[in-house]
Amino acid sequence: MLPASLPPLSKGGHAAHCKRCLSGLPSSQVDIDPAKLALSFYCLGSLDVSGELEKKTKDWEREQWREWIWSQQTRGHHGTGFRASSYMTAKHSTEEHSGHDNPQIIMTYTALLSLSILRDNFSRLDRKGLLEFLRSCQNIDGSFSSEPLGGDSDLRTTFCAFAISTMLDDWSGMDVANALQFIYSCRTYEGGYGQSPFGEALGGTTYCALAALRLATKQLDPLSLQDRQKTVRWLVQNQAYNGGFSGRTNKDADACYCFWCGASLHVLDAGDLVDNAAMSSFIASCQFKYGGIAKIPGEHPDPYHTYLSLAAVALLPPNSSEGASWALCPLDPLLNATYQTSSWARAHIPAPKVDDDALGDAGI
Amino acid sequence: MSIEQHNVKRSRQTPEALAEKKQREKSKIDEFLALTDDVLSRKKKRDWSNDAFELTQRLLQINPEFYTVWNYRRNILLNGIFPESTPEQINNILSNELSMTTTALKANPKVYWIWNHRRWCLENGPDGPERDGVPSMEWRQANWDKELFVAERMLDADARNFLAWNYRRYVLANMPTRRSETSELAYTSRKIGANFSNFSAWHQRSKTLVGLWESGQLDPIQSRDDEFELVSNALYTDPDDQSAWIYHRWLIGSGENKGQLEREIQLIFELLQEQPDSKCKRLWCMESLVHYKRLLLQNHSPGSQTLKQECVELLSRLADLDPVRYVRYQDLKRDLDQ
Repeated sequence: MLPASLPPLSKGGHAAHCKRCLSGLPSSQVDIDPAKLALSFYCLGSLDVSGELEKKTKDWEREQWREWIWSQQTRGHHGTGFRASSYMTAKHSTEEHSGHDNPQIIMTYTALLSLSILRDNFSRLDRKGLLEFLRSCQNIDGSFSSEPLGGDSDLRTTFCAFAISTMLDDWSGMDVANALQFIYSCRTYEGGYGQSPFGEALGGTTYCALAALRLATKQLDPLSLQDRQKTVRWLVQNQAYNGGFSGRTNKDADACYCFWCGASLHVLDAGDLVDNAAMSSFIASCQFKYGGIAKIPGEHPDPYHTYLSLAAVALLPPNSSEGASWALCPLDPLLNATYQTSSWARAHIPAPKVDDDALGDAGI
Repeated sequence: MSIEQHNVKRSRQTPEALAEKKQREKSKIDEFLALTDDVLSRKKKRDWSNDAFELTQRLLQINPEFYTVWNYRRNILLNGIFPESTPEQINNILSNELSMTTTALKANPKVYWIWNHRRWCLENGPDGPERDGVPSMEWRQANWDKELFVAERMLDADARNFLAWNYRRYVLANMPTRRSETSELAYTSRKIGANFSNFSAWHQRSKTLVGLWESGQLDPIQSRDDEFELVSNALYTDPDDQSAWIYHRWLIGSGENKGQLEREIQLIFELLQEQPDSKCKRLWCMESLVHYKRLLLQNHSPGSQTLKQECVELLSRLADLDPVRYVRYQDLKRDLDQ
């Protein structure tokens, strides 16, 4: 039984939506301020994965965004990282160590990826401070808080620590064994992972757990075959008849879970269990007439759902016969960026290695 | 990451109307920035006055994620307001903080810093009132009881709000006078009774039961049988619903109990034959039958060709009925041959 042909994926329209959001949001969006850097990542990521970054943005705009992101790198009492935006800095403050303008771990992760998308050379990165920041965020139970002073501490923030360490190629900023222990404690009997121990399994945090495990251990050693099967079953069952994925047991499909659950299956080497055509069909129906992708058909779009939908399609594309509009840039599911971007990150974020030959030549 | 994004609405307006809108937005933004400046400079000057206290409230109403201002507010209480107050006044102020944040939570249920402020209020309540000259725990217990009530109201509004469930667990664990786990079990019974598809309630129930089994308050064997009866009621009442099927699977566990396994297989087989029929019911029944028969095969009857054949047949039917998971069913069939 051949599936019905898909409507085209409006790459240009979605890129335009994200570009608009990058340029500015009205005051009604002021509560996005604490997550502005993350929002920027969803916009830039959409442009990147759809291959529209060069086409839709100018050199000076990319330069401007790089500058803005770097201006969020902040040195606190507990190391260096990136804050969401400048919303907590008084206009006339001249203090360096303001004590309340702390770096935030999710914003740091998205900042590093955003700068990689923009092909920054990372000469301004305070790597030592970043490692100090990670250390100050880790709790006794192995989890990571979003900030040294508190804030959410769960699988999402913990995944960010793994991703940042991977990009730095330096794991000295965290107690890996303890963090793995925390990840395991979030597993539920359903087979997925909750946000924290005792919570019910959620698609997003299941991705965080599995990607983190893979980043740290290369194989998924800590998972027994039985556990793996249970997780696969839970994830596969989350694909609804309309092709979309739901985020937890007994909930409706939402476009972003196409990534969280789809990528989770991919990480478990079970990506072939996803019905790609059905998933793409659902995502197609979530496209908004004027650009952007919404969480469900008929709703207004936003960069978060737009990016994750595109990322899901990039990772689990429908048949090539559906046309060029559905062919996106290949995606690295562990860092959640295109392979070109994640390679750039892995090449430029780690501390430059001292060139022994060069030293030899210089008589050192 | 899992941050809820607001929708960016577009509307067609005249250039004049748009310009006016932009001006209004600009003044709102300017107001917000001016207020922020004012509060943060007072904070720096260690201004613990009532005026400062009011200003923090205004700012937090606009932006409750401003954690540094919550911090400042608490410092004003500790350094400015509490030293001038009696224990009873302190208790009233804290009760007021709890009411204020309840309102804030209605609009912003996921903001960590609001919950954090509530925890601080609960954990820092004064002893009192005095009974026979000795300070009692009544005020604090009253606040914690009310807190439990708030969590439960949130769950009435949205039974799947997992943050509210988390918070409820926190309250139960930290109240001065703990409630029993058996009363918690009763709470989950009520929630499940009200709505079988309340997965979060089934989930909470599973956690509570494990606690009761481990502490010896309930006999695991009898209790499990009781649970099978409860869940089979749910399955027969609403076989389309996922929650009960997942709970049932948890009860079966690794399938060590042969009698239980066979009994439940029979029950599900009968359910499959029952009217009314639905695709969803058939899928759940068949998928569960495959899983349980495999457990029987693995744990109790390793050579059984009959069981194997039954599974293969079920998987073929499933592949036809549920093409989305076609590849998975093929994989499972292949596993059986090994």
